[in-house]
Amino acid sequence: MTTELDCRKLDCPAPVLQLKELLEKQTTPSLAVLVDNEAAWQNVHRFLAYQGYAVAMERQGMDYRVLATRTAGAGGVGLAEEAPVAVRQRQSGQKKILVLVSTDKMGHGDDGLGGKLLLNFLKTLKEMRPELWRLVFINSGVTLTAAGAETVPILQGLVSEGVSILVCGACLTHYHLLDKKEVGETTNMLDIVTSMQLADSVITV
Amino acid sequence: MTQQTIRLTQTVKGAGCAAKLAPGDLDRALCGLDLPVDDNLLVGLERADDAGVYRISDDLALVQTIDFFPPMVDDPYRFGQIAAANALSDIYALGGTPKTAMNVVAFPAKTMDIAILRLIIEGGLSVMREAGVVLVGGHTVEDGELKYGLSVTGVIHPQRILTKRNLRPGDALILTKPLGTGIVATAMKAGLASPGLTETVSRAMASLNREAALVMAGFTIHACTDITGFGFLGHLAEMVVDSGYGVRVQVESIPHYPEALAWADMGLIPAGAYNNRNFRGSFVDFGADVAQNWQDLLFDPQTSGGLLMAVEATSAGALLEALQAKGIAGAAIVGEVVAAPSERIVVNSKMTKEPL
Repeated sequence: MTTELDCRKLDCPAPVLQLKELLEKQTTPSLAVLVDNEAAWQNVHRFLAYQGYAVAMERQGMDYRVLATRTAGAGGVGLAEEAPVAVRQRQSGQKKILVLVSTDKMGHGDDGLGGKLLLNFLKTLKEMRPELWRLVFINSGVTLTAAGAETVPILQGLVSEGVSILVCGACLTHYHLLDKKEVGETTNMLDIVTSMQLADSVITV
Repeated sequence: MTQQTIRLTQTVKGAGCAAKLAPGDLDRALCGLDLPVDDNLLVGLERADDAGVYRISDDLALVQTIDFFPPMVDDPYRFGQIAAANALSDIYALGGTPKTAMNVVAFPAKTMDIAILRLIIEGGLSVMREAGVVLVGGHTVEDGELKYGLSVTGVIHPQRILTKRNLRPGDALILTKPLGTGIVATAMKAGLASPGLTETVSRAMASLNREAALVMAGFTIHACTDITGFGFLGHLAEMVVDSGYGVRVQVESIPHYPEALAWADMGLIPAGAYNNRNFRGSFVDFGADVAQNWQDLLFDPQTSGGLLMAVEATSAGALLEALQAKGIAGAAIVGEVVAAPSERIVVNSKMTKEPL
């Protein structure tokens, strides 16, 4: 089944964004994207190639029809698992730091102060870039990813800079937040354990 | 904070210098035109330089330039600052001193609050004050898309004009601002750039090349230009054409925003970068070790980019130190002028030994 996407009459960067949105929702073995200018075709080509698709193009009158087929090696490595920015920005040999957030406050003592400290901690985390690789939220830490939390825009900022965020699914369920999560990918203990193994250092809050 | 419901970048198609007409199209429009001849026109249209220079007397010449474009940031005040810094840059690139400026404005008064225009002009004025330039007037038209910029007049000594021509073999090339503003602006438009990076890049675009030009005046510079819409390699190609010499560039030493490389991989590249490559790609030999995203970055149209100076290698270190002492921390030696291959730009990832 080939998924079709018509991006004609769209200026850069809209075609790439529509495609990104589509691939975040579903991984598709093959797709066809229609664009009407050279820059859009080149940009769509780069994006698909980076996502592990083999790309071909045919002219259709004044338009460009970009045909993409998922290559064997790329199977399963979807956008949801690792944003392309995150992959690219880590040069080989660069350190990977994982931050495990297991609480909604930092330190013991006054809880109000603890909440503020954690907010400030997450704001400042970007200073670790580009080594900062992944944030994992467990237990009451998952409330920081849910609608209404002051931390959501901060975490979204980190994601846009290429940091990946994993949120414990069982914990979201426990706190009845499964449908309120606004940032990060829902994950399981196997992914969390594997992430810890892959990281060069793990910081626990 | 002003109440802002409108995102300026969402109201326009192109962003900043990325909105420049494709260089090939401009050449087709201008080639063969019957241009008036005047002995006092020291730098004119035919040399495709940053600004025009007209001699008034033996020790005084006028430098004139104009630049305007659609917004590449959402904050009106910041946009005004960036547009002004960008327009003034051409005067600094020639070694001149800007004196007066006029606002050039296209404004969608039917769809946009006039208070936004006021903020833009306030931003522009703040940069003009910093440059010691007075605003003497302007012209505003009603248009579907917002555009702002300046027409600037400056002065220069006729014997001290720095053009793009005059490369000497052995010269070191120094770049004073990081590359990647076109790609970053595209990511901003896509809502992918973090507030922190947006602020960093906006501030860099709003910063004048004035300090860099003042430092440069204390050294023997052979050639200079500013990096704007045609991208690093596009402007470098203008220096190399008809020079009789070539240039070697080392990618590793080029100041840049690392995020721009990641976004280039994602295909967040402004159309202008492809135009630049189509127009000047034939001058460039990329080494096999130069990744595609670096090639994209080197053709990325820059808004209010840095100065690119060619200086004798023996004084390059001192010039770099002087620039860094003035707070231009990102300045770096990015390449060298070579005798051969002539009129080629050879780009490698690492420093390579010149063949015998």
